[in-house]
Amino acid sequence: MSEFDVIVVGAGPAGASAAIRLASNKVNVLLVDRADPPGSKNVSGGVLWGDSLGQVIPDWEKSNMLERYVEAKGVTFLTKDSKISIDFRSKKFGEYKSGYTVLRTKFDAWLAKKAKDAGAMVASGVTVDKIAMKDGKAIGVEQAGETITSDAVILAEGANSRIAYDSGLKKKPTDEKIALGVKEVIKLPEKTITERFNLTSPKMGFASEYVLGFLDGGVKAGGFLYTNKESISIGAVISMGDLRKNNQTYSFNVIEQFKDHPFIAPLIQDGRVEEYSAHLVPEGGMSVDSVYGNGYMIAGDTAGFTFSNGLVLQGMNYAIVSGIVAADSFMEKKGKGPDMNFANYGENLAKTFVMKDMKNFSGIDRVTWSETIHNTIPAIAEDAMLNIFSEDGNPKKHLSQIVLSSALKHKDKRKDLAVDLYRMIRRL
Amino acid sequence: MIEMALEIIVMIKQVPDSSEVVIDPVTFTLNRGAARNVINPADENAVEQALRIKDQNPDTHITVITMGPPFAESALLDCMARGVDRGILVTDRAFAGADTYPTGLTLAATITKIGKFDIIFAGEESTDSSTGHVGPGVAEFLGIEQASYTSNSWVEDGKVYAERQLEDGVETVRMEPPCLITVLTNSNIPRNATLRMKIDAMKRGIETWTLNDIGLKPEWVGLKGSPTIVKSMKSIQEKKREGKKFTPDQMDDFVNELVSKGILKLGDE
Repeated sequence: MSEFDVIVVGAGPAGASAAIRLASNKVNVLLVDRADPPGSKNVSGGVLWGDSLGQVIPDWEKSNMLERYVEAKGVTFLTKDSKISIDFRSKKFGEYKSGYTVLRTKFDAWLAKKAKDAGAMVASGVTVDKIAMKDGKAIGVEQAGETITSDAVILAEGANSRIAYDSGLKKKPTDEKIALGVKEVIKLPEKTITERFNLTSPKMGFASEYVLGFLDGGVKAGGFLYTNKESISIGAVISMGDLRKNNQTYSFNVIEQFKDHPFIAPLIQDGRVEEYSAHLVPEGGMSVDSVYGNGYMIAGDTAGFTFSNGLVLQGMNYAIVSGIVAADSFMEKKGKGPDMNFANYGENLAKTFVMKDMKNFSGIDRVTWSETIHNTIPAIAEDAMLNIFSEDGNPKKHLSQIVLSSALKHKDKRKDLAVDLYRMIRRL
Repeated sequence: MIEMALEIIVMIKQVPDSSEVVIDPVTFTLNRGAARNVINPADENAVEQALRIKDQNPDTHITVITMGPPFAESALLDCMARGVDRGILVTDRAFAGADTYPTGLTLAATITKIGKFDIIFAGEESTDSSTGHVGPGVAEFLGIEQASYTSNSWVEDGKVYAERQLEDGVETVRMEPPCLITVLTNSNIPRNATLRMKIDAMKRGIETWTLNDIGLKPEWVGLKGSPTIVKSMKSIQEKKREGKKFTPDQMDDFVNELVSKGILKLGDE
């Protein structure tokens, strides 16, 4: 007889959602997190896209844990001197769901409290050492030499998957499969933010992704800037390989260069840095051979469930859905004999957007982290825009001529460009 | 050493993490809302000291008490996870706004209700008010001996010994139980709780007592029972400092600027 039905390791969106779902269905669940308050070591850019949380917290949109609703979405290329961007705003973001900005420290503690309120036992400030295995089956978790037993373990420990590595469930990622996220939260008055980003009300927000095509040493990094109620989350996701290669470039240099950019600095001007953090970001889709085994399931970042195509950066919604599906998959097995091999989790997950996106967009990281996206396209675009929008008294050219002549300036990149454009069309 | 069955009570307080507290620039009050709540650091040392005595005297039974809001439960559970046997939260709306006098009275009444005790431990002072009143106050209310500013204590032949850190040395005192000891911050390294101990603590749970349970009158506690009135608070404003940049080829300007500001005096003058 196990002490718990389920032990969930990690109180992030995946783990907390699983625990809420299980506890609400009278399952005896323990949620363990290394931080106290639970979740306070978690980091992400800070937009929760979609409405998957509604599956476990029906009135979540009324929560005061949400910062602003994204009514304006940007995608921006930055070169040293220029900014080329799409700034999409739509009244239709009423009927079509975008996302809410959140501050994770607060938000994740709230999620863990929801799990506790639903009846889960929440142990915080303690780090699980590994999954306890017996005859190839997970029988609980080990901590400080003691085993806490459960019928099933849901592993949702995040991107830095120490337990998964130590328990032999996941190989350490190569530099291509992991990036470093660095982030600052910059305090500004609510009114200033609403005015600076031309937002229609203090409840509405702006979220933009950036290609940072101007960094010292050609380091590849994506930037993000999201508005909270009274602060701005700004940060960069940096290629681990580039950081290592270019040992003069530290991650703080990248975020400083981003913040100092002539078209970013005014947005955060007079703000005070209130918080800084760093975290690993999984890249390139599913990062485990199997998301389940005998007695365990893997959810969220640990399984590599994040999505990035350069236009959107998502993770929390993937985490939430995978956590919920893991919980449901346990409940399908509960009380039906000793079989705890969660092949049903794999099958159930395959029916959701989580696994479908992982499949359909597999290999997209080769595009999003390409030289073409980070340096060649921004340079061509800048050149073309200058040609189109400046007036030098010469006869005007056709758009195709302009783009072609700009592209020809980067002849050396011609082959890469062709390959990457082909990939882009296929993958995006 | 004669082993004896000791009853120890530790008084703790949950405080906002001092590294996260900010002063509201308008009202000059502490903005506690932004900071996470932790056990007052000196109280963690007091709990650890009690646990060390229990390590030496396994029959020891330790009760941890706190007066505070309902969410102070987590602080008590944290202590229980480290090896404390029992946790009591004394909570009541009537306690709100208490200064150190009714706080001491409330804790003393709680201890009286608990009954038998040999040693009471408390942290030397709290990080959020730094008065150091409550521990000694409780000793006075209960009419027992006390040793303050201690870095170590033990029980030998039925006597309680404590080392007090004084300005010019260490004083070892011997007391008859029951007595009260306040413990210095950083006087020991508090132990960590394991997951197993945390689970057990949560399963055992804490007890919650109210004003009714400890038999005090509403006018003796909380704001009504508090003789201290804070008339005003002043926040120290940081001076704005100006900066000016000089490049290496502007060293003359740099020196002249310093001289004109009276910061630098040239030798010949």
